[in-house]
Amino acid sequence: MLCDECGEREATIHYTEVVDGELSTWHLCEECARSRGATLALAPLAGPLVNILMGLLEDTGDERDESGPVCDKCGLSYDDFRRLGKLGCGGCYDSFRDELAGLLRRVHGTPRHIGRVPSGHEADGSAQEVRRLKAELAAAVSKEEYERAAELRDVIRAKEELAASGGEPDVDVRDARE
Amino acid sequence: MWTFETLVNEPAAWLGATGPHSGVVLSTRVRLARNLADEPFPNRADVESLARVRESVLAAVAKSNYLANALVLDMEKVVPAMREVLVERHITSHGFGRTPTGRAVVIGEREVMSGMVNEEDHLRLQCIRSGLEPVDAWRLVERLDSQLDQNLHYAYSSDWGYLTACPTNVGTGIRVSVLVHLAGLVRSGRVARVLGSVSKLGLTVRGFYGEGSAALGGFFQVSNQTTLGQSEEDIAYTVERVAGKLAVLEDETREALLSNRRVEIEDEVHRAHAVLSSARLLSADEAMRLCSSLRLGVATGILSSPGLAAVNRLLVVTQPGHLEYGRRGDASAPGLDELRAGLARRELARPNT
Repeated sequence: MLCDECGEREATIHYTEVVDGELSTWHLCEECARSRGATLALAPLAGPLVNILMGLLEDTGDERDESGPVCDKCGLSYDDFRRLGKLGCGGCYDSFRDELAGLLRRVHGTPRHIGRVPSGHEADGSAQEVRRLKAELAAAVSKEEYERAAELRDVIRAKEELAASGGEPDVDVRDARE
Repeated sequence: MWTFETLVNEPAAWLGATGPHSGVVLSTRVRLARNLADEPFPNRADVESLARVRESVLAAVAKSNYLANALVLDMEKVVPAMREVLVERHITSHGFGRTPTGRAVVIGEREVMSGMVNEEDHLRLQCIRSGLEPVDAWRLVERLDSQLDQNLHYAYSSDWGYLTACPTNVGTGIRVSVLVHLAGLVRSGRVARVLGSVSKLGLTVRGFYGEGSAALGGFFQVSNQTTLGQSEEDIAYTVERVAGKLAVLEDETREALLSNRRVEIEDEVHRAHAVLSSARLLSADEAMRLCSSLRLGVATGILSSPGLAAVNRLLVVTQPGHLEYGRRGDASAPGLDELRAGLARRELARPNT
């Protein structure tokens, strides 16, 4: 879908705002969101949106004048991505790793995947698996499914002990529920 | 045999008003975005690559038992009237049929499971359930995804999860959307404030037909905004919890409306029923507004007939694409407004369904 503001670039930022009791939804490209950010930030708006826009505002200095990296797999340049709002292939995530890390943090609030893992990857993802299990544990506790929670706790403990011997300490207790 | 004709003539399972909170929540849709590791994303793929992706995905689909007997439509062969039907039934997105090259859609029985091939991502899988069922719908589509995973090599990174064309979908690739009817909150003037607080909880609110459409008749879609950093189950559970509270609030508001402004609401509901049962011309917007009033009347017990499922069905079959499909090829057929009014009269004259 195209940006509501310029009607040219692909919209990558979607949000709903309420002004004077009227509900409206906006779909903006990164560039227009940034230029709107200056005026929007002055309005008394919902927190997360302002954070995203302010994040974009702060960001403008860094990458402006550089021609930007190019994906070695599909040939898409980072500038093209900014214009189109879409990446060209899975390889773009490696080629634009540094640039995307900041963007993903602003859009999603976190730069790390938690959740499902496809079949070929399970073996190497022990830290990720533990993060996923902890998220599931938190969900089970908040749903008062204590039997399931106890099972999960045991699995996590076993995996962490295994990881400790193999040196994979990258696990933190996440509590995003409440 | 499951054909496009059966699809058009039989209501989708999600319209059945059988799920939790059906008075307020029409349906829950869970969608997963997936890409194959060795091909460029559709926006950067040539015709050959799109064809390879379609072949691999359709082969994997044929081996899965959830979509084994699915209806497979090649979008290049789908006529415009059929495309609109698919959009109105929430099976494909708006632009999907307009640039059909290399695209296909796979639709399981009663439209519970379906998939778009070569939309923005190589594969968009979805499961739609009646009522408020985010966790249940997630578990169903997860099983389908596991079966496809046996035969497809997905693009995935351990840091960023499933890789998608748009970074707003990366990670889980999940979108959980709940379609709610907030007729009471709209009439009480509180809807903007309530939906404003929903959006502060990290959820997005949109109109009936998704991105860009106006929230006609008090129908809104509530969905998760972010896809990275939370498990699918957590995301589904958050949407379930927030939409559940929204449904309870809507029910309370309806009760309050009926005790404070009973005659006014009854009048609106009966007038809607009268117009739908006897009008000769109905525009799409008017039909949507009247169906909204009718639905409020049925859900609150002001009307004992038709049933909720019949009203849900009416909302879909009075959309322009369905009417257009019904009169295809017939130059002498009446205009859409006349067809819509005729259809509404027939539907409401049926014995209680």
